[in-house]
This record gives sequence, structure tokens and C-alpha cells, in this order.
Amino acid sequence: MLVDAVNTFNEIKTKLHDSSDLKSRQVQFFGTDITICYIAPITDNNLLNDCILFPMTSEQNKPKEDIANYLKHSVLSSIEVTEILDIDQAVTKLLNGQTVILVDKADKILSCDTEKITVRAVAEPPTSVVIKGPREGFTESIKYNLALIRKRARSDDLVVNMMEIGKLTKTQVAVVYFDSVADKSVVKQITKKLKAIKIDGVLDSHYLVSYLQKNPHSLFKQIGDTEKPDILVGKMLEGRVGIIVDGSPIVLTLPFILIEDLQNSDDYYSQPIRVTFVRILRFVGVVLAVLLPGIYIALEKYHYKILPTEFLVTIMNTTQGIPFSPFMEILFVVLLFEILYEANLRMPQYFGMAMSIVGALILGETAVNAGLVSPPAVMIVALSGITFYIIPSQAAQFSILRLLAIVVGACLGLYGVLLFCVFVLSYLSSFDSYKSAYLAPATPFIESDQEDFYMRKTISEMKKRPKSIANNHNNMIRRGENED
Amino acid sequence: MKKVKSLFTPKKLVIWIAIILLFFTLPTINKPAMSETQAIVTMLCLDKDEDKIKAVVTVLSPGQDKQAKYEVFSATGDTLASTVDSIALSIGKEMGFAQCEIMAIGEKLSEDNIMKTLDYMTRTKKVGTNAILTYFEGDIEEFAKSITTLAMEKSLKLEKIINFDKEYILAQDSNIESFYKGFFSDVSIGIMPKIELTGEQKSNAIEVSSSSGGSSSGGSSSSSGSASSGGSQEGSSGEKKYIVTNGSTVVFKHGKKYYELSPSEVQKVNLFTNSSDKGTLIVEGITDHVYDNAKVVVDILEKDSKIKVSFDGDTPVYSVDVNLIVFIDEVIQDEPTDKFLIRHQDFFTDALVEKLKEKVLSNLNEAVELCKSENMDIINLYKAFNRKQYKNFRAYLERVGIDNYLQGVRFDFNVEINNEY
Amino acid sequence: MKINYRQLSILVFMSFVSLKLLALPSLLYVDSGNMSWLVALVLMIVDALYVFLILDLMKKCEEKNILEFMKKCLGPVLSRVFLAIYILKYALVIANISKGLEFFVVENFYNEFNWLVFILPLMALIGYMTYKGIRNIARVSEMINLAIVIGCLYIAFQSVGSADPTAYIPMFKDGVVPLFESGFKHLSWFGSASFMMLLFGKVDFKEEKKWTMIKYLIFAIVLVQIMYYVFYGIFDNISATHNFCISDISQFSSQESSINELSWLIVALWVVAQAVQLALYSYCMMQAIKFTFNIKNNTIPIIVVMVYVLIWSLVGENTIGLERLFFTPFASIITILAQYVIPLVLYIGFYMQNRRKKIFKSKNFIKNRIEIAPNVSVNKFKMLRGEK
Repeated sequence: MLVDAVNTFNEIKTKLHDSSDLKSRQVQFFGTDITICYIAPITDNNLLNDCILFPMTSEQNKPKEDIANYLKHSVLSSIEVTEILDIDQAVTKLLNGQTVILVDKADKILSCDTEKITVRAVAEPPTSVVIKGPREGFTESIKYNLALIRKRARSDDLVVNMMEIGKLTKTQVAVVYFDSVADKSVVKQITKKLKAIKIDGVLDSHYLVSYLQKNPHSLFKQIGDTEKPDILVGKMLEGRVGIIVDGSPIVLTLPFILIEDLQNSDDYYSQPIRVTFVRILRFVGVVLAVLLPGIYIALEKYHYKILPTEFLVTIMNTTQGIPFSPFMEILFVVLLFEILYEANLRMPQYFGMAMSIVGALILGETAVNAGLVSPPAVMIVALSGITFYIIPSQAAQFSILRLLAIVVGACLGLYGVLLFCVFVLSYLSSFDSYKSAYLAPATPFIESDQEDFYMRKTISEMKKRPKSIANNHNNMIRRGENED
Repeated sequence: MKKVKSLFTPKKLVIWIAIILLFFTLPTINKPAMSETQAIVTMLCLDKDEDKIKAVVTVLSPGQDKQAKYEVFSATGDTLASTVDSIALSIGKEMGFAQCEIMAIGEKLSEDNIMKTLDYMTRTKKVGTNAILTYFEGDIEEFAKSITTLAMEKSLKLEKIINFDKEYILAQDSNIESFYKGFFSDVSIGIMPKIELTGEQKSNAIEVSSSSGGSSSGGSSSSSGSASSGGSQEGSSGEKKYIVTNGSTVVFKHGKKYYELSPSEVQKVNLFTNSSDKGTLIVEGITDHVYDNAKVVVDILEKDSKIKVSFDGDTPVYSVDVNLIVFIDEVIQDEPTDKFLIRHQDFFTDALVEKLKEKVLSNLNEAVELCKSENMDIINLYKAFNRKQYKNFRAYLERVGIDNYLQGVRFDFNVEINNEY
Repeated sequence: MKINYRQLSILVFMSFVSLKLLALPSLLYVDSGNMSWLVALVLMIVDALYVFLILDLMKKCEEKNILEFMKKCLGPVLSRVFLAIYILKYALVIANISKGLEFFVVENFYNEFNWLVFILPLMALIGYMTYKGIRNIARVSEMINLAIVIGCLYIAFQSVGSADPTAYIPMFKDGVVPLFESGFKHLSWFGSASFMMLLFGKVDFKEEKKWTMIKYLIFAIVLVQIMYYVFYGIFDNISATHNFCISDISQFSSQESSINELSWLIVALWVVAQAVQLALYSYCMMQAIKFTFNIKNNTIPIIVVMVYVLIWSLVGENTIGLERLFFTPFASIITILAQYVIPLVLYIGFYMQNRRKKIFKSKNFIKNRIEIAPNVSVNKFKMLRGEK
């Protein structure tokens, strides 16, 4: 096939539906017509000038060979110059920010990498702030994100599997893992599932979540996510697989188990004893957050005899004259809290402060003073609400569970709350995805993994990779000498 | 058919059950707090009013800030159950006994077998089995109001006082459970602390003016139609009353009041048990190289009484090893001399120890004599023999009869007294 | 969907402990007085020995489930009859637990009580857990196990000061015969290992540690004995009037306050333990129904079990009826068959079968040897002579 520069350009133009951001420039190169075409918004003008136009226009020596070959080997100063044989490929290259060079009467089309990468600066992600530890976070560019990972894992063991998902968006998705650590069958399973996705566009990594998780309708999170390269590499070192999606700063990790959210990257950068204390605090926090209002209602409505007399006196004194039943009272406060939270989240930052003052002081205080709700109810819901944010990544699930616990507590009392707990436990322990049990290492109990569960041993003591998640069981030693 | 089947898959069944459950439970959502529908009884006093049972309850009610407020209600009836019901009917709330920490039994009721009345309490299980059981003398309603006043004005709770005193003076734990256990034992002995409400000032008495007995409201009519005890606290305004908790203890035999132990007698009986291990001993007329006709008060810090039972031929032998660790609390002497300028532990002289031993031995003997003369086994002798020397003791009982077994027992005492240091 | 050895041990532990700490101590006291602990101890030790017998069978079972294993050892008819006996046994245990749970909840938590409202969520829960299978039940047991053990010990140690150690003497006051009678009468509360029969082929022995089961069994027996010591020590001559060991002990804590808040939490935990036990036995009953009547899917047997739980709860309203059922020789005989006789018969059956196989194999071996032996000996001979 011999290229006709003008016609080919027209064909490309038609393919792109006469899109007005497709630009071209005609040049004469030693008597040959050359059309340089590119899509303006995603092409770097400087690169285009420096690597293509300037070398071409300033070339003095007449080419002795075929022009296209000469351009590729001796003129174009771009790192990546590829030869293209058909128009569809050319269009794809254009859409990826490359510049396509159509040489009249040549047998191939050339393309140069001139992609303009627009990216925000690497900053500390707001969702995982650490006190001590790295502050770099992922950005929206897959290339930058991969660079951040490569910077932390300079090993030939790191595998990056690129693929395109999305019929229209053609989003780049990378599956990253350590070859010697990850479980091969899990990697295979994930890759297979990703390749099977039929979707017109992937705008964020969370688009993939429902395709990857086993129980898509479940309330509970089954796929881990992180915004920080150190966390991702840490997880990969334990055998997990990362999924990076272009355009999203959130990287998905698989397999996921519940305790991942109870662990924090800070934990690994601080003292083990303190970490053990904080982790126990988090467990208690979860129980308080979810069950406290439910138990309070149950006690007030059905089992006052469990309360010590002094506390009962306080409750009786403060709840006298409240027009609502305990259930309605708590529900009112919970809804108030949820509304404030939702409003606060979406409100411009400068409003936030004012909002919390209005919410906490005015609404809470006046509701108590007006005799609509009692101080213990406000206190209990507030305590439970604050406790959610000990584990922010599970806050959404917990708020739903709390609501259920309140209803059950109001309907059936403590007995109902107990059955509810068993149900939740039973539900969670039935989740097994990607060869990992959701509640491991609590159940099934894995003795060796207790070192990083409710307590944390020192880094040097944690010699083996966790068994709770699927990884390469022939390569479990991660610190110290291999005993074999 | 397939459609119907698909409605009953296990997953959907759970949803079905949840929906059915919602129908049942939604109405309960608007239920008020239990403290609004139940009267929270903190004390129950029982006595006889002529032939009927009179019950007075102290009910917790909402007050200001953190202060507890109590109200007193009363009723009479033929049985305890009907009396309690009639109080409930008059105040429109169910009686909740879960927080009831004290049950007081009146003087007149104790003349008859009180188990007849207490049966209701052991059966309903509404009262915690370790609610304190106590005996009182005085007017039942005034008593209840005085206790209420004590709690509201002086922040003194009777149950706390009794629980504290238990360490020092009471012979045993006293609650419904232990009384029940004692009643159904072979000797049928039960013990209760005594609380007295009097008009005269005594030692160990706390003053309460019964006129300020909280905002107690009127009583209720009983089911059997007897007159309501009515009236509020305004009865005897301005009159001073005293609550006496000096450690007197009442012994019940076969459910009836049998004997009243004075505080000093209780101290003596206490030497046989390990449960109350505190107290004081006073010895007088000590003269030696340190003291000159001195009176010494020692504090018992620890007490260990080991009881051994055996048979010497046909005679049962009850031996008690009492080991006391004491601390000199006070030395009273007419003329304190420079002999007192010694180390604290040197006050613990041989003469003092001898005197203390004598005192303890005499206390033990007096306690035994009291048991023998009154024929009441408050030192758990029967239980000890029956368990540890079952066969011999049975034979002995057959010989002497169950009413005279105390008389033939030989007592061996061994006292050991040590200084705290 | 297999459970591991540790989980099996925990299930055994829970099964050993749970029923023993409710009404059993007071019931035993009526018949065997202060020697009740001995009755419980002996029967629990017998149960523990059977755990090892059944475990041995489990390990030898190469089949997928108990039905196939039984068929191989005893033939199809007898195995179905035996499985039907297990349905009865589990039905008795379920009735016992659910009724016990009801009284326990009523007495400790509520004033007004409509059991229908309370049985429905319980049914939904156990239905769900049964549907999810044994692994789910085992995992939940594993989660709550530690809390329950700590709770029981806390309750026991809190009240141990009030227990009278002389409550146990004189021993054998009325001889040994009443103890045997009482043991037989209350046998339906024992037989705690019988649930293991339906778990054939569902246990993974890969990570078996030798001492795990022994540890749990000893601990279960010791725990129950500690609780009995405290119970009889505290209540002594009036033990028979106390319906629920675990909650009554905690109410009688030696502490000042009449009701101890932490004890309530533990009493509440006991409700959870009972619910999980109910799920375990429902699962076993469901399996037994499935095998006996040759039903392929789980749904119908689950519904049958649930309906049984519901009907039992509604019809068995009066305790007298329940007690009549539980203390008849019928219940005891079912337990004897399910727990003690059938495993033994199966064991004998299995060994007879194996012996027959061995004899068969050894006959073949003799035949083979005749063919192989000459070559072997010639080679050996050559080797001895140093030839290649």
C-alpha cells in the first residue's frame, strides 16, 4: 500500500467525524509532501516542535533511502517512533496523544509519541493522612502512578499487565503484582474477569468493583482500595494484586479481608505496643459504633434492671417529659447526625466550620433544651458517630448496620441485638473470595497471622507473609534468612 | 409452579420471615421506656396490720438533675401478691422489683412464720436473690419514709450501710437467698440484721426528721377492701426520729423471730465464722513493764477461724482455732508515763497478749453458752458435724434427739494472737 | 466446604458445655443430691471417649458422607434406620435447646414475652446458618468461643468466694444406685458427641494437631466442673430451685451491687452460644433427613427443620409436657442408641469389612508372590555372587 498523504488525512478525518480538534500541518521534505496530524488538546506542542517539525525543517542532507525510513532513523528525535500499517491503528495512536506523520507515496505511516500529560502534583491524599510516614499519593495518571510504584519496587519481580477496558473510553488498566509473591491462580482469575468486562466506559476504578467482587449486592466492602503507593506496595508484598485505572487516583487491591481496614499504614511506622492498644481500641470502637444506640434503646425499653440504679436515675431524670418514644428519639438524633454529615461532606470547605457549629451547638443544644430529645440520646449517638471515624473506610457500612441495630433493639430488645450480631457474624464468615476468608485470621483461626491482627509484633519479628490471604505458599519468608 | 417455587428459595424465605416479623414488631417501636410503665421499687417493707399483710414500697421517680427522688406507697391485703397488685392498681404502674435492694420485715410479721410471706418473693424471681433482708422495729410507714429521707437528704443508703457493717458486726450474709437456705436447713435458723426506728437518741443512731420524708404520696386500697393507709408524710411533723443500726441481729427459728442478739453477743458469735473478719477487742487492767493498769483497745485486722469436728468416743468434739492479727488502736491509762516512749510494736507485751487471749476465750465460751441456753445453733455446728462426721453424728442425734444435740458437744478452743508487725 | 480440625474441636467443646450449664445442674440435684457433679463428670468422660472413637471413624471414612460410609459397613437398610434414629436424637436436642433458650430469655431479660415474636428471628437466623452450611456454623462458633470461655470463668471466679466447699460432703450419702438412676434419667442432656456423626467427610484433617481435641475436651470438662462446684457450693440445699446455672450464679456474685452489669453481658453471650448450638443441631438434623429420605437439595429439609422448631416452640408451651418427654426412658434410649450404640456398631462393622478386605488382598498377594518371587531370588543370588 502506498500512502497518499492528502487522501489518508481525509480518511482519518472522516473516521474522527470531522472532529475540529484534529489539526494538520503540510510540509515539503526534499520534494515530498508530508502531512503531520495530531489532536491538539492532548498533544504537547513543544514536543511536536522539538522532535518533529524542527528536525524536519532544518535537515540539510538529502536522503539517500526511502523518505519514511530516513525520517524514522535519522530525522525524528522522538524516543518512540512506530510504523503503522492501517488507518484504524493511526486513529488509535492519535487518540492516545501521538502525532501521525503521513509521507506521500511511502509504504507506511509513522507515529511519534508527543502525548501531553496533564497531571496534578503528587500530594497527600485526604483519605489516608498519616502522622509519620510517606505523604505521596496517587494521581489520576496511570503513568505517574506506575512510576510511583516502580520507584518503591525496583525489582524485576514486579509485573505490570496493561489492558484496555471500555469500548468508548478505551481506558488503560494495569494489573500489578509481584510475580514470586502473588498467587498465580488469583492473578489469572482477576485478569480473566477484567478481560471479560463489556462496558462502554470506565471513569474510575470503582466501575470495576462490581465486576470483581463475588457478592455485588452485599453491604460489605470486598475489595480493598488505597490512594498511597506505600500502602499498595505493602499490600503487594503480602501477595495482593493491585489494579490501577487511568484517570483514578484510587487503586484497587485484591484479595480483601476485613482486618485490612482495621490496620492502618501508620501502624507500621509506630511502636508495636501503642499499635496493639490502638487496634484493640478500634475493635471496641466498631462494637460501640454499631451497637451502642441499639443496646441503649433495648435497655431503656426492655431491660432497665440491667442498669445500675444511679445511672437509671440519671436516665429517668433526663428523659422525663420527652414527647417521643425512645426509638423515635434515637432515630431523630441519628437522622440529624446523618444529614449533618452528608451536608458537611458536600459543602464548600469554608462553610464546613459554620455547619458544624450550627449542627452540633445549635441543633443539639436547642433540641435538648426544647425537650425534644434527651441528653443521653444525643451523647450516645454522637459517641457512636464519632467512633465510626476510627475506621473511616467502613463508616458507610457501619451507619447502615447501626440503623438496623436500632430497629432490632427497639423491636426485640437485647435478645434481638444478640441475634443480629450472630447474623452479621454468620453473614461475614460466609464471604470467601479469591481464596481468602473474609474474617481471617479470626476465623478460620490462623495462629501465625495473629502477630499482625489485634496486636502487632515488631517488623523484624513478622518473618512470614500472612496466610490469611491467598499468596504463593512456597515463598512465605519475607524477613530474615530463608531456613530452607 | 416454578414461579411459586422461586418465591421460597432459602434466601427469599429469610426475607419472608423478616417481613412477617416486621408486622409483629412494628407496633412495639412506639413503646415507651420501661421506667415509665413500671414502678421501680427500691425498698419493700412488710408488716402485719391486724390480720392483714401491710406492704410499703419506695418507688424511684424522676427528679431534678442527678438527684434521686423517692415516693412511698402502701397497701394492705390478705396475701403479699394481692397487696403488691393493689399498689400497682392504685398507681397505674406495674411493680418492678429488679432494683429492689432491701426487704424489711416488721416486728409483728416476725411473730408468725415469715416464710409464708416471703414465698412470693422467692417464687416470682422479680427480686434479685441477693437483696438484703432486714428486720425492723417501729412503724412501717415511718420507717420507709425515714429511709427515704436518709437517702435523699443525707445521701446515706441503707443497703450501703448494712453492706459496710457486715464486715464488722453481722454474723452472716443476710439476703433472701441465705435466709431461704437457712430456713430449709435441718436446724431451720435464719439471721437478719436489725434496724430500729426510735424516738430516743441511742448510740449508733442517725437522726432523721420523718416530716421531711420526700414527696411521698398516698397509699392505696387493698384488694380485700381494707382501708387505705393513706396520708402523706405530713403525719408527725417536726418530731425527731433516729435510725439505729448498731449491729443487733435477730435470729429466726422455723421462720419466727426467736432471739435478739445484742451487738456484743454478735461479736462473740462472729469469732466462729470467717465471713465477718473485722472488729475490736477491749481489755482492761493490764499492768506490766509498759502499762500501769491500762485499758487497751485493739483492732482486729484479720481473723481466721478453723473449725474441726471429731468424735471422742461417743462425744462430739467441736474445736475452734482462732487466729487473730491485731493492731493496738488506743491505750487509755490514767497517767501516761515515759515508758510509752518505745517502738510501737513493743507495746504488744506478753501481759497484753494473755489478757487478749483470755478475753477471746471468754467470748467464745459465752457464745457457746448462749447457743446452749437458747438452744439455737447459730455457729453452724449441726452443718459441720452433719457433713464431716455424717455417720457418727447421725448416731449421736438418734441418742440425744435433734433438740438437745448442742448440750452434749464438747468445745475445744485454741486462740492465737499476733501483732500486725 | 470443609471445616478444619480446630473448628471441629471448638464445636465439640461448645456442644459439651452449652447444655450442661442451663437447667441440668438443678435437675440433677433433685435425683442425685450433692453427688450430681460426679454423674455429670462420668457421663462427660464417656462422651469424651466416644469423641475419639467417632474421630477415628471420621479419619478412616474415605467416602463423601456418613450415608455412603454406613452403607459400605452396614448395608443400605440398616444405615437408613440408624440415620432415622439420629433425626430423633437431634430433634430432642433441638427441642431441649430451644425450650431452654426460651425460658432463659424470659426469666433473665423480659417481663412481657410473646415467644412467637422471638422464635421467628431465631428461626430466620438458624435457617440462614443451616443453609450456609457447617463451615459457617463452625466459624461463628470459633469467633464466640473465647468470649464464652472467659465469660464463664469470670462468672465462676466472681462467685467462687460465696461457694461453700463443704456442700459436697458427705459423699455417697445415699449410695451409688440413685446416681445411676439419675444418670440414666437425664441421659438426653448428654451424648454431646452425637453431632459429629453427621460431619463425616466434612472435616479436613490436614492441619490436625495431636493435642487440640484433647485440650478442648479436658477444658470443657474442667469448666463444667468448676461451674458445678460454684453452683452447688452457693445454692447447697436449695439448688433444685435454681433453674439456670449460669445466670443464677452471676446474680449471686459476691459483690456488693445486687446486679452486676458485666455478668449480664456474659449471660447475654450465653444466648448467642445457644443460638449457634441450635444452628449446629438443625444442620445435623437437616443432613440426617436428607440422607434418610434421599432428598437431593437442602431447601426442603431446612424448611422441615424450621417448621419443627416453630411447632415445638408453639405447642410445647407447657413445661410439664417437655419434662415428660425428656425424662422418659424413650429419650434416654434414643441417646444411648445415637451416642453410644450406633458409633460402636459402625466401628465394628468397619473393622469386619476391613478384615474381609485384608484377607482378600492377602490371598491375591500370595498369588502374586509366586509369580514374582523367582525373579527376585535369582537377582539376589546373582548380586550375592557379584555378577551384574
